[in-house]
Amino acid sequence: MELKVLYFGMIAEATDRKEEIISLEFGGNVDQLQNLLKDKYKKLQHLSFKVSVDKEISSNEVVLSPNNEIALLPPFSGG
Amino acid sequence: MKKRKTVFVEGPISPSFIANSIEKHQTKTTIGAHNIFLGQVRADEIDGKIVQAIDYSAYAEMAEEKFHEIRETTFSKYELTCMHIYHSLGKVKTGEICLFVFVSAPHRKVTFEALEFFVDEIKKEVPVFGKEIFEDETHVWKVNKV
Repeated sequence: MELKVLYFGMIAEATDRKEEIISLEFGGNVDQLQNLLKDKYKKLQHLSFKVSVDKEISSNEVVLSPNNEIALLPPFSGG
Repeated sequence: MKKRKTVFVEGPISPSFIANSIEKHQTKTTIGAHNIFLGQVRADEIDGKIVQAIDYSAYAEMAEEKFHEIRETTFSKYELTCMHIYHSLGKVKTGEICLFVFVSAPHRKVTFEALEFFVDEIKKEVPVFGKEIFEDETHVWKVNKV
C-alpha cells in the first residue's frame, strides 16, 4: 500500500523533503514504517521524533491504511 | 459554542495589535480582570554564537486542532469570559513577540491559573517547530523545556 508521509522541522531537513509517498506492505504498522524510514534515511536513527496518524500522536502498534495522514514530528518548540 | 479562529499569524505580533486587542474588550463590561502572556524571542548564546531570530514552522492543520482542543479544555476548567491566542509563523527577530495569549474573566484569580495552564499545554501539545538562526545564517533547532 502507498502512504503519504509528511516531514517537519529537523526531520524535513534530514530527509531533504517535506512529504513523500512510501510503500509499505498491507497491514503494516507505525513501527514498521519507522524502521523502513530509518533504513532509508540513516540520519533519522539519531533524531528524536513522534509519529502522528490523522493528527493524533500514535503508538508503534497502530496499523496503517492508505487514507491515513502520517507525519514525523520532531520535538515541539512553540511559544 | 465558541467560534473557531485561526491562531497563526505571519511574522511577529506587533505591540499595536496587542493594544487594539485590549481596546476591543472595553465594551465587554462583565470582565473585571485581563491577563496576558507574551512570548518574546530571546538572544540565546549557543556554542559561542548569538541567536538573531527564530523561524517558526508548523504542522498547521494539526496545530490548529490542538489549539482548539486546549482552548475548549481551558474554558471547561476555568470560568473565563473570553480567550484569544495568536502564534507567529515565519521569521521573528530577537526582542519581537511570537506568542500572545489573552484571557479575561469577571475576577482575577482564574485568569492566572488559566493562563499558566494554557501556555504550558501549548508548549507540550502543539506541533510548532522553531529554527534558531545565528548571524552567520547557520541554525539549530529549538526544543522546549517542558
